[in-house]
Amino acid sequence: MSIIRATDIYKTYTETTVPVHALNGVTMEISEGEFTAIVGPSGCGKTTLLNILGGLDHPTSGEVEIANTDITSMSDNALIDFRLKNIGFVFQAYNLIPVLTAIENVEFILLLQKAEKKLREQRSMELLSQMGIADKAHQRPSELSGGQQQRVAVARALASNPKFILADEPTANLDSSSTSNLLDIMAKMNHETHTTFVFSTHDQRVIRKAKRVITLEDGRIVSDQMA
Amino acid sequence: MMIFRIAWRNVWRSRGRSLVVMGSIVLGIWALIIGTGFMNGFMVSYMADVINHDISNIQIHNPEFKNDYDIKFSIPDGLNKAKELASWEGVRGATARSLVRGMISSAKKASGIEIRGIDPETEARVTRLDSIVVDGRYFKGIRRNPLLLGEKLARELNVRVKSKVVLTFNDGHGEITAAAFRVAGIIKSSSVKMNGGYAFVLRKDLNKLLGLGNVVHEIALVTDPLVDEDQIVKKYHQLYPNDLAETWSEIAPELNFMQEMYGSMLYVLMGIIMTALVFGIINTMLMAVLERIRELGMLMAVGMVRAKVYLMVMVETIFLSLAGAPVGLGIGWLTIKYFRHVGLDLSNYSAALETYGYSSILYPYVETQTYFIVTLGVIITAIIGAMYPSWKAIHLKPVEALHKI
Repeated sequence: MSIIRATDIYKTYTETTVPVHALNGVTMEISEGEFTAIVGPSGCGKTTLLNILGGLDHPTSGEVEIANTDITSMSDNALIDFRLKNIGFVFQAYNLIPVLTAIENVEFILLLQKAEKKLREQRSMELLSQMGIADKAHQRPSELSGGQQQRVAVARALASNPKFILADEPTANLDSSSTSNLLDIMAKMNHETHTTFVFSTHDQRVIRKAKRVITLEDGRIVSDQMA
Repeated sequence: MMIFRIAWRNVWRSRGRSLVVMGSIVLGIWALIIGTGFMNGFMVSYMADVINHDISNIQIHNPEFKNDYDIKFSIPDGLNKAKELASWEGVRGATARSLVRGMISSAKKASGIEIRGIDPETEARVTRLDSIVVDGRYFKGIRRNPLLLGEKLARELNVRVKSKVVLTFNDGHGEITAAAFRVAGIIKSSSVKMNGGYAFVLRKDLNKLLGLGNVVHEIALVTDPLVDEDQIVKKYHQLYPNDLAETWSEIAPELNFMQEMYGSMLYVLMGIIMTALVFGIINTMLMAVLERIRELGMLMAVGMVRAKVYLMVMVETIFLSLAGAPVGLGIGWLTIKYFRHVGLDLSNYSAALETYGYSSILYPYVETQTYFIVTLGVIITAIIGAMYPSWKAIHLKPVEALHKI
């Protein structure tokens, strides 16, 4: 079943002196349970595509459907709510809340979803255990390594049971051992819980783990291969 | 509440910067409390001096006397009324006076004054005139025609205790009369009139010269603290509708005005201090928001609605502002308590202060409600200070904020 459907997406940035055409007619579908990497050279439009698929940005033209809901015409406020309920995000720079502990960072999403305290605590600890960092639950991000922080970010992304997780270059700031650990965890989550993962990356280690690789060049899909 | 937890912890993220803002808030509140306390102290001491030693809580006159100050218009049966009033509940003392305007002259100078004929014993109960004699004795030591006058007037006339002065005025028949008096004592008060505008003589001496019998032109009453003066006036008017009884605020409306003006000075001071503080708060919070653009973008990206982001920055600002408030209030309270006990000696400026009727020892005073008003002022300041940074925060676009370096 298709969970993401993007049809003829164009994105042009006009704020610059010369208009920049970041996406030029991207059409793609991602089904439930996929482990997909979007790859390509810098500036090819990976992040722009991820932002549009995640409802963080609007396309100049084209249509994006997430679980059969057209998000292209949604207002900013409606999109915030939609993202909270349907999409998990993992960012390159982890972007945890520095004043909260690891478990509080995970709980935060559940709190936004108005989950009860007991459920929040239980689910957050369960996710941190799955990420192998339960012992770091009460430490703040500044006390964790990059790999550990990114695992907290994945736990946070998974906390709300999203329809899919978008990860923008999640391993870019990690060393090889942390990258390997993180990929193993995400692959395990994908395998065990059928969570859909969509990455943007140019890290070969991530590409090798992906089940499907979509290659972008100059804002167009130039190849779409299943592993 | 996670938002409150985040907001509170964010306050301490940049400890040094937050402490600077808190320090300025502490200082601002302290200055506000102290400023208000000293202004109140000036006002209370001035008003207490004027009411206690000069005009008293309530005065009674013949209405015609108030209109043109003609000594023929006395209070009928004034002495008995004064005695009766002294026994009323809530009245601590009552005294009868005969009054006339005239001239006092010494070998050096003559000056226009009000001559007040008093009964020393009852007068002392009402105005505590005996307590402010700084030289000589309270109507003692002079056998014939003793007189008390203020320090300033004595200086101008160049007279001292036992010096002779001449009082000149129109008697009850319109004839100019003059009599010699000797200075029995010199008084000192922060009331300008008491210091330079009155001469106190015995009522029997003055009445003899006025030639109108045992007249009373004025009855002055001092009431117990917290007694409603208006109720006593009302009761008196019911009994003696032909007399005019007035409270101190009617007799000296300028005191009422002064009280209101000093009261509003709290708000003026608060406005000035809080305006200065609000810019400090905006500056700090704006820096905090601009430093956290990516974090705020992330919060909105993962699903935090703009209203909550607004609330979070608002709460953080209020925390930042209110964290310093109790310290400022506490230090202000302690300072007031200390100076209320020992007084602030301003005797270096006593000449200037006394010109305006102020005492040279100041006892600051702050009403309890002032602390609440100041706290409310800080909260309002914090809310105003938080508005722009909060507005700035919610107008960030997550996609742009997330990629800010």
